[in-house]
Parts: sequence; C-alpha cells; structure tokens
Amino acid sequence: MFQERPASIAPATPGRRHALGAVPPPRAQPAPGVGELWLAAHFARLPLDAVLPGTGQARAAVVTAPEDPRRTVVACNERATRQGIAPGMGLNAALALVPGLHVLERQPAAEAALLDRLGRWALQFTPVVSLEPPGAVLAEVRGSLDLFGGAMALVRRALAGLSASGLSASLALAPTPRAALWLARARLAMTVTRIDMLPGVAARLPLACLQWPEDTVATLDALGIASIADLLRLPRAGFATRFGPRLLEELDEGLGRRPAPRRRHVVPERFDERLELVAAAEAVAVLQPSLERLLARLEAFLRARASGIRALRVDLLHRGDPPTRLSLALARMAGDAGALRELLDERLGRCRLAEPVVGLRLRSGVLSPLQLRDAGLFERGRSADPEATARLLDLLRARLGHDAVFGVLPVPEHRPERAFRIAEPGSLADLPVPWPAMRPARPLWMLAEPQPLDGWTGALVTGPERIETGWWDGHDVRRDYYVALSRAGVRLWIFRERPPGQGWFLHGVFG
Amino acid sequence: MSDALAELLRHPGLWRGGDAGAPETIPTGFRALDAELPGGGWPLATLIELLVPAAGIGEVRLLLPALRRLTAAAEPPRWVAWLAPPHMPYAPALADAGLDPARMLVIRPRAGVDRLWAMEQALRSGACAAVLGWAGPAHDSALRRVKLAAEEGATPAFLLRSPAHRGDPSPAALRLALSARDYGLDVEILKSRGGGPARIERLPIH
Repeated sequence: MFQERPASIAPATPGRRHALGAVPPPRAQPAPGVGELWLAAHFARLPLDAVLPGTGQARAAVVTAPEDPRRTVVACNERATRQGIAPGMGLNAALALVPGLHVLERQPAAEAALLDRLGRWALQFTPVVSLEPPGAVLAEVRGSLDLFGGAMALVRRALAGLSASGLSASLALAPTPRAALWLARARLAMTVTRIDMLPGVAARLPLACLQWPEDTVATLDALGIASIADLLRLPRAGFATRFGPRLLEELDEGLGRRPAPRRRHVVPERFDERLELVAAAEAVAVLQPSLERLLARLEAFLRARASGIRALRVDLLHRGDPPTRLSLALARMAGDAGALRELLDERLGRCRLAEPVVGLRLRSGVLSPLQLRDAGLFERGRSADPEATARLLDLLRARLGHDAVFGVLPVPEHRPERAFRIAEPGSLADLPVPWPAMRPARPLWMLAEPQPLDGWTGALVTGPERIETGWWDGHDVRRDYYVALSRAGVRLWIFRERPPGQGWFLHGVFG
Repeated sequence: MSDALAELLRHPGLWRGGDAGAPETIPTGFRALDAELPGGGWPLATLIELLVPAAGIGEVRLLLPALRRLTAAAEPPRWVAWLAPPHMPYAPALADAGLDPARMLVIRPRAGVDRLWAMEQALRSGACAAVLGWAGPAHDSALRRVKLAAEEGATPAFLLRSPAHRGDPSPAALRLALSARDYGLDVEILKSRGGGPARIERLPIH
C-alpha cells in the first residue's frame, strides 16, 4: 500500500532510499520477514496520558473503566505507583492507600486519538508504521537504521521524543512485529536482530505478555503452564484443537515461522496539489501569486491536521520538458508557510527559466504532528490574539452599529436588576463580587423590566429568597423570589412584592 | 485532498484515525448524552443545531459544562459570543456558572438578516471559544456558510432555532430537538455525523 508512482516520489537526485529496502520480500521466498526489524513501542499508561495533561501529573492519578463494576485501576501515574498503587487494583483499595487520589474515567476515543497521533509521529522513523490497539505502535525500521546511526541511536531518539512529551513507553526491537510486541509488553528493552534467536528469547517471557484472553490464560494456568517456554513444549495438534488455530498462528507469527501480514498501516500523509496557470509564465516573478495560492492551501492543510513538514518540493511544470524542480529541506518542522515562503522566494530568485512555466505543483514531505500530546484543543485553532479580536469587533460594529456589540459584567449589588452592567467587551469586573457564597441560583436571562404575570398557574420549584434592600437610595426592593416552572417547562425566576398583594412578576428565565 | 490520498482512503483495509473518521469532541458534561453522541461529546469546529420549543427549558444550561471547558483552558483567553439571544445574558448567573463574564461577547443585530452574517464573522475570526446564535428561518446556503466558518475558525457553532424548522434541510453536523419534561430535558438526536438517531429522556439539567 505504499506503492506510489515512482515519478512522483523520486527525490531531485534519485538515489538509494531506505524505505524501499524495507519492502517485504516476495511471496515466493519461504522464510518470512527476513531482513525486517520491527520496533514496538508499548504505552502501558496510555489510558491515563490520553485524559490527563502533563501538568496534571503532579498528583497521584488513576484511570478506571466506568463500565467495570469493581472499578479496577487500568493505569496510574508515577506518583500513584510510588504510593503503592498498581494497575489491576480495585479502586477502593487504591483510595484506601491514597485518599486524595485523582480518579479519571477512561476515554476510549481519546486513547484512539493519541495512539493515532503516536503512529503519525513514528512516521519520522520509517514509512511503515502500524498500530496495535489499544496501546502499541509498530514500525519497521530496518531500512532506517543507517539514517539514524544504528538501532540504539534510533531507540534513544524515539525515547527522547516521547519523554519530551511526558509519555512513557517500553521499546523493543525484533525481527517479527509480534515478538517485538511481546518484548515491549514484558518491559524488556531488548534488541533481537536474528530470527533464529527468537524461540530462545521468547521462551523466557511470561505468558502475560501475549495478552491472550483471560479464560485461555486461566486454562493454561490450570494446566501448569506459566511461561512461553512451557507453552512451546505443548504438542501443536493438541494445542490447536483445544485453543483454536488462531493462537497457534500467533505464536508462529511471533517466532517467524509464518508470515505475519500487518494491516492498519498508518498512511503517511502529504500535501500534493497542482495549479495550471492561465497563461504561460516566462518570468519567475509572474509565478508569485499562483505559488502564494498553493502555499495558502498547504497552510490550511497543515493547520487542519495540526502537523508540520520538514521537506517541500516545488515543480515548475513546462509544456514538453521535464519540470524544473526546487527542493527544500528545513532544519525545523514547519507548521505554517512563513519559513517556506522565505526559502522559496530566495530559491526562485536564483532560478533561471529555460522554458515557459504552464503550471505549478507543490508536494510536501511526510506530515508529522507538531505536538505529540494534545496540550489543549485551543492551540489547534487560531488563538484570540488581540488583533483577531480587534478585527472582529471592527467588522461587526461597522455593519451592525457600535452599540450592537458589547460585554456584560457583574456589579456588586443585591438588587438583581442592578447587579450587572453593559461594558466594552473584555473590560475587567469592578471588584471582586461580594456575593454570599451560597446565594441561590440566578437566571441566565434577565428581562429588561419585570413583567406582570396575570393568572400565574405554574409550579413553584424553590423559594422564597427574600431580597430587601435599597432603602437608602429610594429605589427600595422588598421581594420574595421563587424558581418556578411554567406549563411549557420553562424555568422562570418570579417574585411577589412584600407585603403580598400585587400578584406575580416575571424577572428572569433560566435558559 | 490530493488524488493520491483520496485513492488511499478508499482502500477497504485502511483504518482511518482522527481527522478523517472521528471528529474531535469535548464531553457535554452529561454522561447519558455523551454516550449517544459519536465521539462521546459535542463535535468541535462545526455547526450544531438545537431545536428549542421555548426559550428557557434548559437549552443554555445544556451547553454550560462545555462552555466552561472550552473557555477554562483557552490561553490566551477566547470569547463566548452570544448572538441575538432572546434576552440579556445575566452576568451574575454566568459567573455562578463558572464562566468569566469578562470574556462574554454579546452581539445583538437589529436586522434578522445580519444574524447569520455576524455568526459567520465571529466563527471565522478564530477569536471565539464558542459561538451561540439564535436565528429564525434561514437559507440552506447561509447555514452552509456558517458551518464552513466554524470549520475555518476551529470554533463550535451552536445554533438555536424553533422546532418549526425541523423539516428544513440543515447542513448541521449534529442536530438535536429538545423538549422539557418533568424538571428535565428530553433530547432527541435527529442527525449526527457517524451516529444514528437516538433519544435521551429526562436529562437532569439543573
């Protein structure tokens, strides 16, 4: 699935490319996976990392699954571990150990999103990346070893990137993806490079790292089988009959005895668009507006994916001849077109056109997330820089009138109709508002004037709240407020003057 | 999207994550509702339409937990825009609800036709954490522009309209019909991207 038209990915200077060396061997070859080397990254704490930002890790925290009646701890942070909490523990036991424990609920959607982001991040090491939900990423890195200076250097680099984002992972390398996964789950930071060593290494692994179904493990346990070594001693036919062929296949895949097709590849994403020019351009300067349009599209593309690129190629297309090709490589990941624009300007300025240009093509390198952890949803969109706000206010007021756009602020005042004021948007509140801490709820909507409610027949929900104030300035208020429900189900804030007599007034609506 | 990518996305064995499959969401703060919404919450950066039979049945209270989340973490702070609300938003109640009144932007266009235009501008500016708009009859094309602006500004747009518009075509990614019942709120999911119709009864709105 990584076959692409060679012409479209060939770099400016065609040469040895690492990824191509990692293409799986032809089917005819009997030994599966020869030459492959898989990096497995197992994220045991992913359920927690997906829901708690880095700054939230200062307190002991655990994640539990809401549908689990025992509320077993699925994952916990380091602080919780130090206080004696471990995954698999019941929530009550964990709370007994750490009474102030921060308990979060598992969010499968957030976990899947983080895993996907991790997969895309791994694309910087190799184009062959595969996800192993719920908590692992696999990457075939044989072809990338030279580029990164060997297996250990690659692992160090991966670990550094992860820990910079506050993520903890266990990494392992093996000739088959499944074996790499076993090692990573067993927290054995090992590199096994030869396929014939796998049975010997695997034999020492605990059964748990297979992550087989609980009942299978229980049955094996009852048979006295506690490690993969024990398992490998079982007769094949008997094992398959008892546990089904799938688990046997899994073992064979892990040990490299049968090919293990990996699905769910993370597809490297690139920007690739072309633009035909209305008229053939003879000079570079004429290309500027068209190039700018493509760059703007590239920028929107990157922003929508919260990703950056480190490489960009611009093809100046000619009618007959092969395109004139400008390739840019960036030292830093670029998430906007600013840096690219400067570099391109400079390159184009030095470019000599042998032929008129009839079109442009912009093709990016592989996209990589700018941020591994979703530090905030808010960094995704443009932030409210004062300029964006000023622009918005100007635009709205120019068409709607100055007074149609305003802010509202609370005012420290007990009379409800005087407890707010219209203000310029963004003004600061007058003072810390001295509301009684447990003041009854206020309605979200306030009417400009209390409206008489003739023949009110709805239901009273709570009240009365007596408000008697303002006698010093002549605008005194003596009212009993109630929360009421109208026949239509609208929650109202109504009052009756004291002493009672004039009937009910509607003053607010709860929204 | 490039042709090559579109081609890849058609691959049947391909698993699509994040951007293509599940839109980003934030929890509504109501578990029963989250359970029925694709992605487990309000979709961000798109148009959400709420059909409300009468102002005050709990339509804003339904949104408060999400507004709190959207504004609390915004750094630098972003606005909550209230577009053509049926009454004056009451600052003390907003403060009680955990929203910073200083970040509220009320927009009250005199003409009905300006409502969706203003909503579009607020969304596209990227300066708002959320935009709540009240509107009457609207052309499908105007609503499409609002949706596009929500996507461009990466801002959720909550559009509150009367159930009279239930039969109108709507480009909203999520469309809910609300009704009051027994001190709670019945929520009917009429349309959701990646989910089916559903009904949540007596959502406890306080």
